[in-house]
Amino acid sequence: MSLLNEFRFIRPETTAQAVTALAGSTDTRVLCGGTDLLPNLRRGLVSPGALVDVSRLESLQQISWEDDRLTLGAAITLEELANEPRLNRHFPALVKAILSVAGPSHRAAASLGGNLCQDTRCIFYNQSDWWRRSNDYCLKYRGELCHVMPKGDRCYATYHGDIAPVLMALGAQIDIIGPGGSRRLPLDGLYQENGSHHLSLEPGELVSTIILPRHVQWHSGYEKVRVRDAIDFPLAGVAAALRREGDTLAQLRLVVTGTNSIPIRVDLSQLEGGTWSDEAAEEMAKAIRKAVNVLKTTVTGPKYRRRVVMAMAKRLVSQLWQQAA
Amino acid sequence: MNAPLPRLTKGPVGVRTPLVDGIDKVTGKARYTADIPRVDALAGRILRSPIAHGRILSIDTSAAEALEGVIAICTGDDCKVPFGVLPIAENEFPLARDKVRYRGEPVAAVAAIDEATAEQAMALIKVEYEPLKAYTEARKAMAEGAEVIHDDKPNNVLRKVHQEFGDVDAGFARADLIQERTYRFAEVNHVHIELNATLAEYDPEREWLTLNTTTQVPYYVHLKVAHCLEMDESRVRVIKPFLGGGFGARTEALHFEIIAALLARKARGTVRLTQTREETFIAHRGRPDTEIKIRMGMTRDGRITAVHNEVIQRGGAYAGYGIITILYTGALMHGIYNLPAIRHDGWRVYTNTPPCGAMRGHGTVDPRAAFEALMNEMAEQLALDPFQVRHVNLLQAPCTTLYAQKVLSYGLPECLDKVLKASGWAERRGQLPKGRGLGMACSHFVSGTSTPKHWTGEPHATVNLKLDFDGGITILTGAADIGQGSNTMVTQVVGEVLGVEMGRLRVISADSALTPKDNGSYSSRVTLMVGNAAKHAAEQLRDILIEAAARKLEVAPNRIECGHECFRISGEADKTLDFAETVRAAMVDSGTVTVKGTFTCPPEFQGDKQIRGSAIGATMGFCYAAQVVEASVDEVTGKVTAHKVWVAVDVGRALNPLAVEGQIQGGVWMGMGQTVSEETRFDRERMIHGNLLDYRVPTIVESPDIEVHIVESIDPNGPFGAKEASEGMLAGFLPALMDAVHDATGLRPDALPLTPERMSDWLEAQENAS
Repeated sequence: MSLLNEFRFIRPETTAQAVTALAGSTDTRVLCGGTDLLPNLRRGLVSPGALVDVSRLESLQQISWEDDRLTLGAAITLEELANEPRLNRHFPALVKAILSVAGPSHRAAASLGGNLCQDTRCIFYNQSDWWRRSNDYCLKYRGELCHVMPKGDRCYATYHGDIAPVLMALGAQIDIIGPGGSRRLPLDGLYQENGSHHLSLEPGELVSTIILPRHVQWHSGYEKVRVRDAIDFPLAGVAAALRREGDTLAQLRLVVTGTNSIPIRVDLSQLEGGTWSDEAAEEMAKAIRKAVNVLKTTVTGPKYRRRVVMAMAKRLVSQLWQQAA
Repeated sequence: MNAPLPRLTKGPVGVRTPLVDGIDKVTGKARYTADIPRVDALAGRILRSPIAHGRILSIDTSAAEALEGVIAICTGDDCKVPFGVLPIAENEFPLARDKVRYRGEPVAAVAAIDEATAEQAMALIKVEYEPLKAYTEARKAMAEGAEVIHDDKPNNVLRKVHQEFGDVDAGFARADLIQERTYRFAEVNHVHIELNATLAEYDPEREWLTLNTTTQVPYYVHLKVAHCLEMDESRVRVIKPFLGGGFGARTEALHFEIIAALLARKARGTVRLTQTREETFIAHRGRPDTEIKIRMGMTRDGRITAVHNEVIQRGGAYAGYGIITILYTGALMHGIYNLPAIRHDGWRVYTNTPPCGAMRGHGTVDPRAAFEALMNEMAEQLALDPFQVRHVNLLQAPCTTLYAQKVLSYGLPECLDKVLKASGWAERRGQLPKGRGLGMACSHFVSGTSTPKHWTGEPHATVNLKLDFDGGITILTGAADIGQGSNTMVTQVVGEVLGVEMGRLRVISADSALTPKDNGSYSSRVTLMVGNAAKHAAEQLRDILIEAAARKLEVAPNRIECGHECFRISGEADKTLDFAETVRAAMVDSGTVTVKGTFTCPPEFQGDKQIRGSAIGATMGFCYAAQVVEASVDEVTGKVTAHKVWVAVDVGRALNPLAVEGQIQGGVWMGMGQTVSEETRFDRERMIHGNLLDYRVPTIVESPDIEVHIVESIDPNGPFGAKEASEGMLAGFLPALMDAVHDATGLRPDALPLTPERMSDWLEAQENAS
């Protein structure tokens, strides 16, 4: 229906070829499952000169279990991950997040790397070209003004990925390959708080691998708030991982999605070493309120999303605290 | 000939029967409008207004016309005849002239050799506007001094309705309890899965126009296209191919259909005009945003003494069905309970939003929800069970309502008993754990509106049957099968009367060159009206066959009985003709046999001329429904989940219990969408819901188990006793879920949908108050 622009389609045989193809021009995009990119292409939200299809690169399909870590190729589909028997045993929160992404047919195509790198979203951006043109476009693409924050100096489109917050709570790292070789960094480092440039990837770079440390003593979970229990992106999502030693909250990591232009890590180090209590929960809620920046980027209003993200975090951490007893 | 006669078995009526065209659909063979192959078709595109209200100062198409590959461009200048489904309110142009009244209104259209060229051409069309103040709220549009949207309605009110029956003031005076509440219902859209599309072919030599189009009313499209193009109706042919749903969205000719025709004629060729989901949302015709203030009086034992409802509808930019929709908000206060006094005030208001129209339960859903919700609340205040309050207000059928509607069959009491028992109401209501509850409500709907939109004197339905040498029977009907199964229904009715196998019957429907005219698939009229016409036609064909068999067997026709594809002399098993032999006998001196059956609603079912507006809501019979919903509310997220629905529906007679069950589940389900999550949203006048992520139709995960109980009251007017079976149960879901939420949380919702956002606000307010 909505026409695709013309573009070159490249299907490299090796990651080296993929990097070369990507580095060849600034308007080249990585294609894997396409569940995020193709709707955006059809709406004219991107107009790449070339697409580099990495979905068949074997090096990006590997799953490798080692004693201290799990390594996942970025092109593995979400369905394959959900069906990996050991994953649910060792990382149930991750499987829960994966199964909460969109619907079954999306997950059959969508890749792990693509999910992490998905575009930010906004009611002023995810619209047809006619809609956006008659609204003078927006700061994220082709326009001068952010309609969410007209006085702001950046784009406030929101990151709505489900999987990144869980991986961050679990302390994941990623490998990025590019013209300069490979570099490893915490997943947090992939993101930067700017809705129109929320990924720190340089031209020619792509995420190749996700590395998860295996900590048996961590208890983790993911809770997603949405109107419909399939299809919908999170209006807000909370991932948490904690370590309990007796009555002491030894460590607590909390990452929130659907509120900012990045999955946002909430610093809760002040609670570590204490115990979990109503007061601690209140303190956590305060820290979340300070960290998140919920704006009018979805049809559901910011007040609800702000309120529910704190309530969900309290419920989730309390549950994990109980489980860890 | 001498073989023992097969036992005369039951005909197809009442048997669970898969839809006759179901195989084509599930195997992908069925062709929908956008699938029709036509390699020479030009690509059509519509240029739409970027503003919600304004004067068109100029349109310059010269640069676009100069673009290579552009074949035709149309603007408002190409059609100066307005259209609209009601002859008294035709005020819409397929392409805006002088003024635009909603964002997305078509202002120009292009036919080009391909989509890319059409797209380029649209960018080259220059339109200058003078913006005017725009309104997306009814109350603001009808306020003193508001900018006028249509010159003939300076207060922006398309229609103000006031009706009063019985002594309302006296009714309130003798009430033991009077309550008044205001409810707000968000606007919803049908979201038929097949997007709007038209394939228009113009034959310049013969000046013929053929449309394949996505419609429920091919003959209304036929009429409006001919009028707008100022063509003789005989030069137009309209075909409705397979259709992926309608739900009322397609019960009037829509702008894209007329635009496709205008483009095809101007291009002197074929144009394919397909619409995106956003454009389909813009064409809209959904259920309007509605505010209802309702006041009810009750005696101590729950008897209603008087009702006054005031309804304000945000109708959108054009009239469409608006006058009928606002009349329906009063008309179906009647016909379900025995109410001694009713006052109704309604305002249908023009706003700068896409035009509303008919949607499943047309005009009756929100008022019914408000009525039932208040009834439940007052029952609680009187310490009465909601079921008990229904029972004391039941009608005594047969009867005539204050609005002159005749109720000949009334299965509501049985519906109430069924869901009461099935849901375990007596033991479980008020007894479920915190956060979980049961709620109930009733609803009803017409089995077809007895009055056609155009008074022509024609019968309300006509069906032709053709029987030829091969023994095959072709059923020709103009009725549009839109997925509801009308092709199957007519096949069953004809098969039942003739006692023949379904495989002998083929249906050709909704092609104006082949099939007799039918007004269309709206107001649940088809089973009753077309079913009766099909029955009438089949009875005539049966008589012809009986006479032929009688001639052949040399007995009087009254001695012949037929069934199971045989005609025999009554009581003489060896004097039997099989179907082929009978057909050969009938062909002698006659050749192909064609018969015509018709149906017309008698005048006493068409309302009372003394009661203004009573043509709306006049019907041959009402479908009745009662339902119980079990639901839970998550106190952290505010999310409402419907877990189970017990619904009992009086459908008169279930001609096809399988299809009836599906229709009932669909009706309940659609009510569920409106109650839990669906709503259109505008940011100022910008539509922000124009896709299926932001307009939240429930998924299968949200779908409750819907347990259907069919009640058969055998209506004397219906074919084999059948009434409507797909709209009457929709409205009841809304108040039943509202009631279940009350049982779960103690809150009385007064606005829909019950989104987590809305629920969470209420839960917070409740917590702060305690």
